[in-house]
Amino acid sequence: MTATSRNRQKKTTFRLLAPGVVWMILFLIAPIMMIVYVSFWTQTTFAINSTLTLDSWKNFFASEAYVGALWTTIRLWLIVLTLTFVIGYPAALYVGLMVKSKTISTVLLVLCVIPFWTSFLIRVLAWRPMLGKEGAINIILQKLGLIQTPIEVLLFSELSVIIGMTQIYVVFMVGPIAFMLGRIDHNIIEAARDLGAGFGRIFWKIIFPLSLPGVVVGAIFVSVMVLGEFATSGALSGRKVNLLGNIIVTQVGSLKWAMASVVGVILTILLGIVVAGFLRIVDLKREI
Amino acid sequence: MESKVLKPILAVYVGLFILFLYGPFIVLGILSFQQGPEGGPQFPIIEWSTYWYKHLFGLTPPSRIAPLPVGEALVRSLTLAFMTMVTATVLGVMAAQAFRKRFRGAGIVFYLIVLGMMVPGVLTGLGTSLLANNVVGVERHWWSTAFLAHVVYTFPFAFLVMLAILNRFDGSVEEASWSLGVSPMTTFRKVTFPLIFPGVLSAMLFAFTLSFDEFPRTLFASGRDQTLPLAIYGTFSVEIHPNIFAFGVMTTLFSFALLAVYGILMGLSVRRAKKMAMQEDIA
Repeated sequence: MTATSRNRQKKTTFRLLAPGVVWMILFLIAPIMMIVYVSFWTQTTFAINSTLTLDSWKNFFASEAYVGALWTTIRLWLIVLTLTFVIGYPAALYVGLMVKSKTISTVLLVLCVIPFWTSFLIRVLAWRPMLGKEGAINIILQKLGLIQTPIEVLLFSELSVIIGMTQIYVVFMVGPIAFMLGRIDHNIIEAARDLGAGFGRIFWKIIFPLSLPGVVVGAIFVSVMVLGEFATSGALSGRKVNLLGNIIVTQVGSLKWAMASVVGVILTILLGIVVAGFLRIVDLKREI
Repeated sequence: MESKVLKPILAVYVGLFILFLYGPFIVLGILSFQQGPEGGPQFPIIEWSTYWYKHLFGLTPPSRIAPLPVGEALVRSLTLAFMTMVTATVLGVMAAQAFRKRFRGAGIVFYLIVLGMMVPGVLTGLGTSLLANNVVGVERHWWSTAFLAHVVYTFPFAFLVMLAILNRFDGSVEEASWSLGVSPMTTFRKVTFPLIFPGVLSAMLFAFTLSFDEFPRTLFASGRDQTLPLAIYGTFSVEIHPNIFAFGVMTTLFSFALLAVYGILMGLSVRRAKKMAMQEDIA
């Protein structure tokens, strides 16, 4: 390749990338920087000014409610992450590995994705008639004679938020795992079987390690979404469960931009730690 | 063999799993046929009726339950989704096209773009509105600030879809075109674009649906005028009625219509590609 044509190619690459990169810097990086900056601004009753102060940060850590929200967020995230993994993995195992026909496995995956074509908020709302005191689950359990009085803790509690989030996000765990399982060469499993390995051993020595990148990608998806949640907790907990996202919404609602920014920074740091932690487990670049 | 035992167990499990995914939606669908206007959003069904569907379209006599404020919101959401779709797809195709050649800093640019889909909506929304309020000093609108945030979110999806398509793309047809003296721009229009069109269609579908349903970013970054998800969110705080369920069923049907259009266009483009391949064979 000649120098001029290499130069021309460089120019083309630059021109193709510039709009997207500029867009992301201006409307993604700059806003996040802005959150960090504003978290040090001075908050007066209805306005903020750019005099730098640590007040909002001090207020955050002095308030039991705010620090509590941080712990609630971490606790709910761990619970939902575990549940999506435990519930999702067997489903992915079947769809990705056990089903021999590609058509059936595609159909099953599409079946999992179809609910996403309903508005997210309506999917959340749909849990109310399901879990309520006179909801579907209570009615069914009573009809079956398993319970005498309706279970009240099902709705407007931490449990309903956990159930709702697990249902909404579990597919993000199933997809990547099923994808990785689908790439496993069946000959390897055959070979292990011929050598006398039982299913347990094949699973732990071959299947699970090979599906690990899928688990990590799924875990990152679920984590990012659950940590930034506020709608599900708002709609299904009756304002009893406050996540960091809920605090941001209420603070912005009462024009407390500085405090909202502090919570935003804490959320960003939390996300950074979680995602970096997951990326240490597997080198995704090498896997893809 | 254990897998002989395991497979049926897992099959039953997957059945239950799909029931878990669909359960709330089935309940929602049933309750949307609740009797109105007295019937509430819970069991039992007093009497089957299509009252709430009529209510949605303003075909019922006025009652104490206000109709959902969805008319204008729907138009706004469709417009916003369309604007987002076009912008995100163009940016996505361009960026993915650049990634076909090796260049320095490719890793950083890749992560910069993908970051857009990873950062939670609360943060992008909050940051965008802070920037608009305190630095630029503009009012927030669904067609300005919210649009910017929507593209930040959907552009990475379009980019990844296009990247996947272009990775499997055979560059020799382009080279043939160039060597015949066709300009790169015309080559892209006449050769590359028709070949990657199925990918473009998928990228558009992603961008449109994600933007149409986008909620957290819009909540912060749009001003007074509500988009559809915001209108739905507004009904959360007050009492809910089965009309929201009827609306949920309607939006799902709309999504399926969209999916059908996508399927038809996809089928047509595949058939055209086959036809072209056949002509080549004859020639």
